[in-house]
Amino acid sequence: MYVEFLGIPRERAGISELEVDAATLGQLLGTLATRCPGLGALMTADGFHPSIAANLNGDAFVSDPATPLAEGDHLLILSADAGG
Amino acid sequence: MPFGHHGNYLRIDVSSGRAERVPLSDTVLRQYLGGSGLGARLLLDEGGATADPLSPEAPIIFAFSPLVGSPLTTSAKFAVVSKSPLTERFNDSLASSGFAIAGKRTGSDAILIVGRAADWSVLVIDDGDVRLEPVDDVLGDPCQVAEEKLRARLGADYRIASIGPAGERAVRYATISHDGRHAGRGGSGAVLGSKRIKAIAVRGTKYCEWAHPRELTELSRDLSKRSFGPATAKYRELGTATNLLTFNRFGTLPTRNFQTGTFDEAPSISPEQLRVEHARTRASCVACTIGCEHIYSLGNGTVRLEYESLFALGSLCGVSDGTAVLRASQRCDELGIDTISTGGSIAFAMECVERGWLDEPWLTFGSGAAVFKAIELIGQREGVGAILAEGSRRAAQIIGQGSIAFAPQVKGLEIPGYEPRALQTMALGFAVGARGADHNRSGAYDVDFSDKVDRRNATLDSVRHAIDTEDRAALMDSLILCKFLRGVFTDFQVETAGMLHAVTGWDVTAAELRDTARRIISAKRQVNLLAGWTRDEDTLPERFLDAPLPNDPAATLTRERLHELVAEYHRQRGW
Repeated sequence: MYVEFLGIPRERAGISELEVDAATLGQLLGTLATRCPGLGALMTADGFHPSIAANLNGDAFVSDPATPLAEGDHLLILSADAGG
Repeated sequence: MPFGHHGNYLRIDVSSGRAERVPLSDTVLRQYLGGSGLGARLLLDEGGATADPLSPEAPIIFAFSPLVGSPLTTSAKFAVVSKSPLTERFNDSLASSGFAIAGKRTGSDAILIVGRAADWSVLVIDDGDVRLEPVDDVLGDPCQVAEEKLRARLGADYRIASIGPAGERAVRYATISHDGRHAGRGGSGAVLGSKRIKAIAVRGTKYCEWAHPRELTELSRDLSKRSFGPATAKYRELGTATNLLTFNRFGTLPTRNFQTGTFDEAPSISPEQLRVEHARTRASCVACTIGCEHIYSLGNGTVRLEYESLFALGSLCGVSDGTAVLRASQRCDELGIDTISTGGSIAFAMECVERGWLDEPWLTFGSGAAVFKAIELIGQREGVGAILAEGSRRAAQIIGQGSIAFAPQVKGLEIPGYEPRALQTMALGFAVGARGADHNRSGAYDVDFSDKVDRRNATLDSVRHAIDTEDRAALMDSLILCKFLRGVFTDFQVETAGMLHAVTGWDVTAAELRDTARRIISAKRQVNLLAGWTRDEDTLPERFLDAPLPNDPAATLTRERLHELVAEYHRQRGW
């Protein structure tokens, strides 16, 4: 699956996208913590900091670590405060 | 004198030059707080709801707040409240910085202006003493130039809010500018211009005492500390302009007059690209620890750039030349016009040209030069600019052909950079907004970008979320605190109740503040009711109803669904 970073998460990750294997959102978070240590400050024990949001395939926003992920999924990670 | 307030407003009739301090009761101050809330109350009390907004009798109110002058970060803000010449409905626009602090130190909680000066003037308020001075030497000057000249004349300790050439010519979305920032939406600059007031200069020495200074200092220290954290990183490090690529990725970036939600050339006008070509610095308002302003070099000058200006003068007009967008934004600032209404009116005209309904063949999507030329004409009210200076709703009425269906406005106010079909909680917020389509009075986009709702399939459950964001905005605009702080609060009403207690000494609770928010929203609605509002106004243009968003077929907002959402909104409001 693919992870795409936007806004502050992109700044912290230092890259715009990443290909990873993960069966759940929780697994993905663990992988990101290792592969993109700059994201550490944006993560909590339960998931992302409230200032960060995750969206699956442009449809639903997800936060439950048990959320299943499939091959070919596209997870967008962005700043939660979308406004200006 | 009550803590945190002066207990009066300064009422100035610029026709006669007469000024008086009118008492404000503790009850009114507690019920409406300050800023937008107090302004709405005074607008009702002074008969502003039924007046022609550009007539001498129409009041315009500069309202401060209990938190202004305190050490609470981002509290140096003021609200400008009047009836809008663009919408003929309630209007409140906010701006920041030294004018708020100096204005409150003149000894009043608000400055209310009626009348029309015999000649173009600067209204000077020196510690509460009021006089008019001629401004022949600054008439026609851009906002910032006028400010500099007037400070050189009056003294560097004055803080000045001014209108630009567009306000002098009653462009219906003219702004009031202070220190490079604008009370931008709804045409308050035209209202001030109709009174022949080019600028207001304030200075003063009258401080308000705080009820619990030690408690306030602690709260302020804690709030400042939190304001440096992740919740505000986006604003501090990237600025609001970073929304552009995010919105484009989600297909929610209004493009070519809302004909679609993606702009292929978005990367070329993104802040990431702009900062490659233009040096960038950061700045902040007085008494702010966030520092959200991102200022780009442009020729010999600079320009502040926000997402709303970037989308309105960029993707909405199909412009992919980043430098052209910066130049257009800079020119809007100089003329003193709202970038959202400017871009919306120009994009609407471009589509009319495309359809052969407007004979201005140079005015084509994608042309940065055409956008700049149109801005000039709007500022001068010349040629097609005379039509576009009226805003897209009136322009559609002039052009006809059913073009009102795609005039990008609600109640006459041009729609900000959020595609309503793909952000349907925001669509409701736009439809019911007291001042029209508005992202600052409804923060419902926050809900759409969360797991609380399906952004492309709003249900009745979306309504309470839209109401919550509207209530929160009403409080923030009345206390006043910057909305960029919203992410740092764990419980906004509880925390701001504590701040209000420390400043005023009131034993205010979160529940009371929730009631206060509803009272303020109701006061705005009351202005609209008196001004002739009907329920039919709470809707969106035809373009957004029933047909899917071309780039995203799942993003369809039916007329029936919007009607149900609006009806439920009214029901939950008890209206």
